[in-house]
Amino acid sequence: MSLLQPFNKLPSLNTANILLVENEEQFQQSLADALVEESSVIVNVRLAKSLPVPTENETSRPRIDLVVFIINLTSELSFESAEASLKYLDCGYFLGKVCFLVTNARSVSVPAERLDAVRKLAALFHCPLLFVEDQTADGVASAAERLLTILKVAAGHVPITTSLYMSILAQCTVPPDIDQPSFD
Amino acid sequence: MGDATKRLLQRLIRRTRIQMLKTTLEKWDRLTLAQRQSMVFIQSKSAITEKLLSICEVLMLLVLLWFHCLLDVMDNPNQGMWYAFRLMDPEDDAHSVELMQFKEQFKSLLHELVRHVSVKIKKHADEAIWIRIAWGDGFSQPNHLKPTYVVHYLQTPFVFVTSITSKQKPLLSQALTVSTRHQDLKNANLSGRKLTAIRDLLMQQYPQVFPTNFPGHTAENNQMESNPRRVKEQAGLEADRLRMAHKAFGDGMLPELESAVYELETKFNGHANGTMTDREQPFRCVVKFTSTNLLESLRQCASSGIVSTVTPLFSSIPRSGKNYFVITNKSHGSSSKTSNITEPQILDSKD
Repeated sequence: MSLLQPFNKLPSLNTANILLVENEEQFQQSLADALVEESSVIVNVRLAKSLPVPTENETSRPRIDLVVFIINLTSELSFESAEASLKYLDCGYFLGKVCFLVTNARSVSVPAERLDAVRKLAALFHCPLLFVEDQTADGVASAAERLLTILKVAAGHVPITTSLYMSILAQCTVPPDIDQPSFD
Repeated sequence: MGDATKRLLQRLIRRTRIQMLKTTLEKWDRLTLAQRQSMVFIQSKSAITEKLLSICEVLMLLVLLWFHCLLDVMDNPNQGMWYAFRLMDPEDDAHSVELMQFKEQFKSLLHELVRHVSVKIKKHADEAIWIRIAWGDGFSQPNHLKPTYVVHYLQTPFVFVTSITSKQKPLLSQALTVSTRHQDLKNANLSGRKLTAIRDLLMQQYPQVFPTNFPGHTAENNQMESNPRRVKEQAGLEADRLRMAHKAFGDGMLPELESAVYELETKFNGHANGTMTDREQPFRCVVKFTSTNLLESLRQCASSGIVSTVTPLFSSIPRSGKNYFVITNKSHGSSSKTSNITEPQILDSKD
């Protein structure tokens, strides 16, 4: 059982590497295309359905700066798969190098407990939680832009800031009354 | 007799579309050119009926309309439920039955079996024989508003039937088996709304999958074309799933089957419910899968990883060309008392 390690390889010049983990393998394709278009930094995108990643790619894989879990709120399987994949990350990643991306949060068929569960998960690991829209090109572009901001910090391209500092600002928090029934 | 036939004619004309009427009248060469030009199709249907009756006799018109109904259904085969049947046990000269001989024998047999019946046979462009049967009984005239359509491909054992009652089925089966030189007509357990789809499935006229020892390199080619900066981590697993899906369902277009029904007569196997598991009798239930294109959606399930393996329950649909299955437990010889889990097996369903 190999854990993904954050610092066991050397970084390359002007490069940022991101790993997108999504059970349905849909949104990660369009997001990857949008991320690769960035010109100021060379972005390498790795796509996976779930962790652990196969060990055959160990030598060719660069150092992963940011791991993004894409959860589709309309599917319980998506959330469970993301939760199960968390075990295969080394604990060094949870100091600001993991991010949760949630799609379809506005859908009517989403039970409120699932959103609460995702928020609690993100708060437990001190990771940022982003809500994105994946059906339109604008939504994908803005999601890519927000991810790039976090990625540049995680890869060390922004001076004076590290991902640990940023995680204190950007982490998800749950309100103390999250377990109370809401009004809708 | 005149009134009844006139009313029948009016009902038939009311049912058909004006465009179809026009084209059928054009194809039918009993009307002269002048008569055809004098038909104005903008009028109401009752006026059209009157006009037509004034031009030619009622009986000739009826023949025309039955023929056109046949053409109509031939052009739109995807309405109504079609059931597939298979002819069993061919005799020695079954392979040399040819069209005229089949036509004459079938018609004469059906007229012998039922006193009042109306049979029309036409050969379609792709070698299929379309038969339209209007059934009557010993006392009443044939009912043309509820005809049975039969499609048969000569020298193959496949027959497709729509709108037939259980009383008419043995008559049809006897006429068909004798005129095609077989012994029996058996239910093929395949039914659906689209004739083209069930015909393609049963006669295997879609791109088939052949087992090879050296599969091609399509997955690697796709990887090389995509951006070198975006890399799939689990490409090997994905290629495995795709290969498994293609092994079960093939690569190309699949026939658009719409439903599959599994009738379960197996013992209850769940772990949560103790009382149900202890019962000796099988737990009977029916599972039905429906979709606009069922085989394509099953292939997508396998290739996207929603199903981890393609069970023989799914892959037997294209393999055996059926969509109705009865599943029972296979009974082992000596160990059935101790083990609770027996393997399910797929039986041919009852006729």
